[in-house]
Amino acid sequence: MLIEQAAYANRWRAISPAAKGLFAAAGFVAVFAAGRPLTAALVAGSLALLTVVGAGIPAARYLRVAAPALFFLALGSLSLAFSLDVSAGAPHWRLAPGGLDQLAETGSRSLGALAALLFLVLTTPLSDLIGLLRRLKTPELLLDIMVLCYRTLFVFSAAVHDTLTAQSARLGYATPRLALRSLGQLAANLTLQVWQRAAALHVAAQARNNDGPLRFLTPDFADSRRHCALAGLAGLALIGLAVSLR
Amino acid sequence: MNDCLLELQQVSYRYPDGSLGLNDCSLAIRRGSRNVLIGANGAGKTTLFQHANGLLRPQTGVVRYAGAAVDYGRAGLRQLRSRVGLVFQNPDRQLFSASVAEDVSFGPLNLGLDTASVRRRVADALQAVGMGEFGGRPVHNLSFGQKKRVCIAGVLAMQPELLILDEPMAGLDHAMQQELLAVLDELHGRGITLLLATHDIDFAYRWAERIHLMAAGRCTATLTAGELGSHGAELAAVGLPLPEIITLQRALAGHGLLPAEARPRCAADLLAALNKTKESSCQFALI
Repeated sequence: MLIEQAAYANRWRAISPAAKGLFAAAGFVAVFAAGRPLTAALVAGSLALLTVVGAGIPAARYLRVAAPALFFLALGSLSLAFSLDVSAGAPHWRLAPGGLDQLAETGSRSLGALAALLFLVLTTPLSDLIGLLRRLKTPELLLDIMVLCYRTLFVFSAAVHDTLTAQSARLGYATPRLALRSLGQLAANLTLQVWQRAAALHVAAQARNNDGPLRFLTPDFADSRRHCALAGLAGLALIGLAVSLR
Repeated sequence: MNDCLLELQQVSYRYPDGSLGLNDCSLAIRRGSRNVLIGANGAGKTTLFQHANGLLRPQTGVVRYAGAAVDYGRAGLRQLRSRVGLVFQNPDRQLFSASVAEDVSFGPLNLGLDTASVRRRVADALQAVGMGEFGGRPVHNLSFGQKKRVCIAGVLAMQPELLILDEPMAGLDHAMQQELLAVLDELHGRGITLLLATHDIDFAYRWAERIHLMAAGRCTATLTAGELGSHGAELAAVGLPLPEIITLQRALAGHGLLPAEARPRCAADLLAALNKTKESSCQFALI
C-alpha cells in the first residue's frame, strides 16, 4: 500500500513510464558496470537521492518500503561474510576468506539494483507498468493474470479485513484455540469467495462483449519522446559515471 | 422503428442446481421509456436482466430485441450486448482493471473500435457520469458511489440503447442516490431507455413511467405510474404496499385539503398541490 500511495502521488507520476523504465534499466547497467563497491554504492546513493529529492518521495516512506529488502540483504550479506567452521573442536563462526570483499561487492550491487527498482515502482503505478509491458509485446496471458491479480489483491484485502473484523467482534480471536479455528474459517470462506468472484467477473466480462483476452486502453503520456530522450541521456551519464570511476 | 425495444415472451429458466429463475415470464420495454422492475429478493429480477443481455438463454419462450428474436450465435450476442448494457449490483464484481479509464475502455475495445474512438468514448462516458477528472485514478481508491458510476460509464462507453441497472441505489447514501438519479435523468434525456431493479416502491412511483411487478419468476403486472393507485391488489400480491405519497394524498383528500384527482408523485409535488389548494381557497374567501 505504501508503494501504491507513492506511485500515485509523486512529482513524476505524469512522466512516461517508458522513460522511467529506461532510466531504471540504465541504473541496473551502471551498478553492474561499476568496477568498485564504492562506485556501485555511489550509483545506489544517486538513484535513492533522485527518487527522494527528484520525485518527491518522503525519505521516511522510502526507508519503510526499503526496510524488508534491506533486512534480507543484510542477512544474505552476513552469510557471505561468515562461515561455520567445524574443522576443529566445537563449531564456531569465522570470517570467510575474502568474505569482506565479497560482501562489499555483492552488497553494493544489490543495493544499487534495489535503488533502481524502487525508483521505478515508487514513481510508476502498476497499471502504467502493465501498459508499458503491453507496448513491449509481453504475452497477453501474462498481462491478463497481472491485471486480475493486481485488482483482486485489493478486493480480497478488503474481504479479509471485513471478515477479520466480523470474527473479532464475536470473540473469534479471544484465545489461541479460537484464533486457529477462526483463521481456518477465514481461509475456507475466502476460497469460496475467490471462486464466486472469479465466476462473477467472467459473467461481467461477457456482458461487455468479451470473447477471450482482456483488452484495455494503454494510457497516453504527453511528451513521451522528449522524456525518453532525457531519461536515456541521464541513464548514459549514470553508466558513464560508473565506468569512469572504475 | 419498432416501439417495443425488448420483449420476453413466456420465458422460463431453471438454474442447474434446480432453483427457479424465470417461470413463464412475459415483459415488454418500450423504446425511450423509464422502467422499474420491482419485486422481493429471489423474484427473478437478476435472471431476467441476464436474459436481456444474452448471458442466459431461455429454456422455453423467446427473447426479442427490436422485434427480432435474439440470435445466440457469436455475432448475434455481440450485437445484442452492444445494444443492451448491463450494470451489476456490486461494482467490485464488475470492475477488474486497476485504473478507471482502462476499465471503461474494456467494453468499446471488445467492440473492435480503433484506439482514437475508444479514447473519445471513454472521455465522453466518464464526463456523462461526472467522473471526467478520475480517469487516471486507481479503482480501489474510489468510494462505493464512485465505483458505481465507473460501472455505468463502462457500459455507457459501449453506447447502448437500453441501459439496465441491477439495484443501482443499493448501498448508496442519500446524496449519492441524488447524484446517480441526476446521471440517469441526463441519460434518459439523451434518449437511452432505462430499466432499473429496485425494492423501493416509493422510488419506483416517483421516478418511473412504467412499473413492472415481479414475483416467483414471473412478471405479474405492468402498470403506468399514474394507474398504480388503483392497483393496490396487484401490489399486495407481490408483497408491496401502496406508495406512501398515494396513502397521504388520499388522507388529505378525505379531509378536503386536496382535490381527489390530484396525483402527486413525490413530497415536493404534494406540497405544491397543498399550496395551490390553499391559495385558491384564500382567493375564494376574499371573493
